[in-house]
Amino acid sequence: MSDMSENRPGWGLTATAFTVVAFLQLPVIVVVLAAFSTTSYLTIPPQGLTLAWFGKVLSDPTYLSAIRMSLILACGSTLISLVLGVAAAYALFRKVLPGSEAVTSFLMAPLVMPAVVVGVALLQFYSMTGLRGSLIGLLLAHVVITVPYVVRSALASLSGLDLAVEEAARVLGASGFEAFRLVTLPLIAPGLVAGALFSFITSLDNVPVTIFLISASQTTLPVLIFSSVEMGIDPSVAAVSTLLILATGIVLLLAERRFGFHRFV
Amino acid sequence: MGSLTFEGLGKSYGEVEVVRDVSLTIAEGEFVSLLGPSGCGKTTILRMVAGLVEPSRGRILIGRDDVTTLPPNKRGLGLVFQSYALFPHMTVFENVAFGLRRRKVAGAELDKRVKEALGMVRLGTFGERYPRQLSGGQQQRVAIARALAPHPRVLLFDEPLSNLDAQLRDEMQIELKRLQRNLGITTLFVTHDQGEALSMSDRVGVMAKGVMQQFAAPEDIYHRPATGFVASFIGKPNRLSGSVAMREGAGGRLAVGGVAIPAARIDQPAGAKVDIVIRQEAVAIRSGIPRPGEVAGEVVLRSFSGARVQYVVRLAEGVEIVAETASHGPEAALAIGAPVGLAIDPAAVFAMPPEGAKP
Amino acid sequence: MMSRRQGLLLIAPLLLVLAGFFLVPVLMLLPTSFGVYEPGTGLIKGAWSLKNYSQIVSDDYYREVIWRTLGLGFSVTLICLLLSYPLAYLIARGPERWRVPLILLVIFPMLLNLVVRSFGWIALLANRGLINNLLMQLGVIGAPVKLLFNFVGLFIGLTHIYLPFMVLMLVAAIRNVPRDVESAAATLGSSRAHVFMAVTLPLSAPGILAGSILVFVLTISALVTPRMLGGPTYQVMATLIYDWPSGSALSFALTFMAVAIIWLSSRLTKRWAGMA
Repeated sequence: MSDMSENRPGWGLTATAFTVVAFLQLPVIVVVLAAFSTTSYLTIPPQGLTLAWFGKVLSDPTYLSAIRMSLILACGSTLISLVLGVAAAYALFRKVLPGSEAVTSFLMAPLVMPAVVVGVALLQFYSMTGLRGSLIGLLLAHVVITVPYVVRSALASLSGLDLAVEEAARVLGASGFEAFRLVTLPLIAPGLVAGALFSFITSLDNVPVTIFLISASQTTLPVLIFSSVEMGIDPSVAAVSTLLILATGIVLLLAERRFGFHRFV
Repeated sequence: MGSLTFEGLGKSYGEVEVVRDVSLTIAEGEFVSLLGPSGCGKTTILRMVAGLVEPSRGRILIGRDDVTTLPPNKRGLGLVFQSYALFPHMTVFENVAFGLRRRKVAGAELDKRVKEALGMVRLGTFGERYPRQLSGGQQQRVAIARALAPHPRVLLFDEPLSNLDAQLRDEMQIELKRLQRNLGITTLFVTHDQGEALSMSDRVGVMAKGVMQQFAAPEDIYHRPATGFVASFIGKPNRLSGSVAMREGAGGRLAVGGVAIPAARIDQPAGAKVDIVIRQEAVAIRSGIPRPGEVAGEVVLRSFSGARVQYVVRLAEGVEIVAETASHGPEAALAIGAPVGLAIDPAAVFAMPPEGAKP
Repeated sequence: MMSRRQGLLLIAPLLLVLAGFFLVPVLMLLPTSFGVYEPGTGLIKGAWSLKNYSQIVSDDYYREVIWRTLGLGFSVTLICLLLSYPLAYLIARGPERWRVPLILLVIFPMLLNLVVRSFGWIALLANRGLINNLLMQLGVIGAPVKLLFNFVGLFIGLTHIYLPFMVLMLVAAIRNVPRDVESAAATLGSSRAHVFMAVTLPLSAPGILAGSILVFVLTISALVTPRMLGGPTYQVMATLIYDWPSGSALSFALTFMAVAIIWLSSRLTKRWAGMA
């Protein structure tokens, strides 16, 4: 699109924005620096540089299985949330159901309820139904806490949609599902990215619900980090975070290269 | 290919009846317009034909097939939307190809048919562009090509020209008409613009408040309006309040503004209060003292609109009538206050039940 | 074109999952909120009371806690909004090649685990931490300023957690404002500031509202958790969950209020959007 200089942010706004960015990075920088520290306790500035902690993390089977579990849960719950959430958002958007607003607000409830309460409630429920420690139970618990983000962003995305394009697709011969898949979905996909991102991060980061539901043998990364606090923090924790940040950066840069990601946000 | 038939078609939303008992047949290859003000039900009918709205009563047939309960993707129709509704994330080519792909057309055949459709609207080289890169007129032509590509049996238009500027609109009217003639495709065209409907159609269906007022050829609609509504909707009407002064045979005289105006056809009895509709084009204006048979008046306002000039003429008792004349004619430059005589064609005077009564 | 039955089929799976794995378990917890807890003895069996709920309204201590929580939530939300908007605007309307790097920088802090994040803040804000050291070296202050384990530290921490959420949601809201409306205002003679106040801001208002409500609700919810655990961190949870009845009563009351707020605001937004 043409460059409309009237709309360009001025230098005052740019300066403010960059200050905020700097503020956001402060703990990140501290953590990344700490990951390279030679001392076994975290100090800033680091007294020496080493990659040892990265090596420790990547070779420790407990860490590796925790990372694996976290990724499975995050990917799985985000995927399930996307399917369930988009379907529900679409039904709400078409307004064929009574009380859509009330239902929508209800769908936000898992976000609002303090996570600890959700965790304890599920613990009680799972103990009664024998789901405690099961992967499917954990997965569905994560779906519960992540799906509100997907529903929110799907509804926001759908609100900008002109129904006429779907109708055009139908008259041209597409079935209901085809019209959704070929027309509606591509058009709302950009808006879904934010929801999927929040969902993924919420699952990846979650402690209060997860900690009650894991089995003794299998743990997730954030819970592992959390429990290791009791034994004293060493820089492996920082190393893991740095690895996560690095991985995310690479994935998103690749997505940009391949899909022109910047158009989506 | 097929004709399009409505049998007792009706639609209600709760208590509100939006379309009432419409029955007609559009012959194969015919171009029919549905004309009427907003809310008259014409768009609802179109959407029922397309399958986007479910009728409350009645049937819709294409050719001999009853399509009333078929979903929209199984009816073999083409629909051009008012907002064009092009798929923004697809190229022009992909937009036009969409309907063909749903019919499992692929490869060289697909290419050929898309190019053919784009050629028909003279956008052959635009295949790789995106809708947002096109002007309104171009987008509309893509929408037409997209609807035509799958060779539909019936073509539907939902006020497609209302978003275009005046000149483009006139050009598109001619182009569409030509296209339709060449393809011989049964066409249903919804519009609120009577000029459009009258100039493009083989037959016109005038609608008001869900009821079909008249379904006839344009000349009949114009010269022989079947109901008061049609008389006042078509052409540029003067609408005055008056009463029936006297009846003579099929017509008689109407009293308005202190004068008696002859009308060729009056349905109401003498003494009845009526609304009187007189077409502007049927009022001939002549400066000077009125001759016998003419109505006396005084020019109050003059407005020039290119080919024609309109005058607002005040009669006795403050009633005002608008008259028209050619802008290069003898009466084109009358002054305000000039005395004039109006010759009113009795065949163009219609008496209707007063506003508020059912049309 | 879509029947009620089809709509129900689409929404049913989600409703079932939420009913089974959220609603039912949480409702099963509801009775506990009517229980009675005695410090030192624990949960008194068989005792029932509405006290947990009524004290939310009547007890001075509780009221103060609630007001303080609401106040903190509100101020965090406000500061988040003020800090996020310029950045969101820059991302949405600034140079395209800055977009991905900026978004990455917004996302990175979100990836920090609570523990690691806390550590980072401790390193920064402690009396001997980086910030105090820097300020003292520059001669700005004479003695260390207490930035941790007080309101300031809490405020900074919470704002930092929710800023990225707010930024990303605002970016979406600003992108929804059509640029041609802004250029139209500009060509009509509006200064940049005026275009913003008169066009961009009002049109992105629904998104602002939605983002603010979300952050507010999340902040409140995050504040309740430490309260229930008797401390500012999640220390050994199982043993430290005390006074569960009043804690859960508070949670239920809070959730109900928050859902009501969300519902109300969505109705208001619909009306405003209609009038816009």
